[in-house]
Amino acid sequence: MTMKTTKQAVSDEQLIQWVADGDSSCLGTLFERHHRGVYQFCLQLTRNPGHAEDIVQNVFIKILNAAKKFRNEGTFKGWMYNIARNATYDYMRQNKRHGDPTEPTEYTDSLHVDDLSAEQSAAGQERLGILKEALATLPAHFQEIIWLGRFQFDSFRDLSQALDCKEGTARVRMHRAMQQLNLVFAEINGAPFSE
Amino acid sequence: MEHRSVNRKEPTSLPFESSDPDEQKLWSALSDLPLEEPSSQLRRRFYNNLHEAGSQSWIESLARWLGMRSNGGWATVAACLVIGFGVAQLTDTPVTDSGRLVALEENLAVLQRELILDRLQDASASTRLRGVVDASQVVASDQQVARALLDRATQDRSVSVRSAAIDALGSQLGTGDIGSQVMLLLEGAESPIVQLALVDLVLRHGSTSQIGQLQELAENDQLHPDLVQHVNNALRGQSI
Repeated sequence: MTMKTTKQAVSDEQLIQWVADGDSSCLGTLFERHHRGVYQFCLQLTRNPGHAEDIVQNVFIKILNAAKKFRNEGTFKGWMYNIARNATYDYMRQNKRHGDPTEPTEYTDSLHVDDLSAEQSAAGQERLGILKEALATLPAHFQEIIWLGRFQFDSFRDLSQALDCKEGTARVRMHRAMQQLNLVFAEINGAPFSE
Repeated sequence: MEHRSVNRKEPTSLPFESSDPDEQKLWSALSDLPLEEPSSQLRRRFYNNLHEAGSQSWIESLARWLGMRSNGGWATVAACLVIGFGVAQLTDTPVTDSGRLVALEENLAVLQRELILDRLQDASASTRLRGVVDASQVVASDQQVARALLDRATQDRSVSVRSAAIDALGSQLGTGDIGSQVMLLLEGAESPIVQLALVDLVLRHGSTSQIGQLQELAENDQLHPDLVQHVNNALRGQSI
């Protein structure tokens, strides 16, 4: 086990190791570092703030219980987002079975294009609203790769760990997802992004 | 359940390359999407769960490690803890503790900040006042706290809170971001009470150029008539 001797930030991998050793207080530090990102990821897929918060709770409980299974074969972040992804899909499947009206295909976010237009009439903001809507319209496996690639990961290796696929698969899927986003944006907007 | 919406760019992003310029532009634009913040309830629930699940799993995992399944072994667990602590003292715990301490300090700093932001939003004026006092200690290094203080200074319904927030922001008036926001607010504020709070902030802590701007606003009748006199008196050294 590597120990830090200077007062620098302790790595996520070290923290989860300590959690696995029984010091659950270190999970608090991991929570503070990552809960916003996990929440935003879950919100992107569920589009329901209450559901997203429930999933975040589940994710961190799962991390606590599975800390010993983290093998340092990838990053903690990749491992955590893989747990978050599975927890989100489980939750969505469960809600679908129970007939929850908030299905991921519906766009129920607070940031509607109309709201944006009312508050800020700037064309840029409106396009941003359309972009958000276009992203929300994509299938979940495209949304997740775009979201994680844009906001959480800076390498396809880590991204593929989160998505539980090969690096090449992640690259291909990302290109398809962006192509699709481009098409949907143009469809909603009536013109491509650059116009 | 409150959800703050912030436009926060994440530091990491995959280097995405496409031959289609539209796709490339879309990729750049994605970073401007507003990101929703979770409610403060999420944090409370997490720490409650951690408190319950953590304390159980810690003892249970130790018991499992010792191969014990019945309650009869708890005394041994306690003894092992004492021994374990002693052994740890003799090995490399100072290094371990230093690392854990850093992690705990990081955690505490985040929690302290959230506590301050929560207090600044509280329904009770005395709690908000306490938040302002706490915020004054970290305002120099925290832009989000500075902006929250600015809200209190201009919008709080309690005069005491407004006044305390103005005092706390005083040291920040020289920084570009807060300084320019204060001047913008002053130009746009319609309520004379808010104007008074901002005018006092500038008069007490403003730079020469900010006071010059204030004087200009007074001369151009952009302030409430009563405040124009207040500013003129202050600048002549008769008040404040």
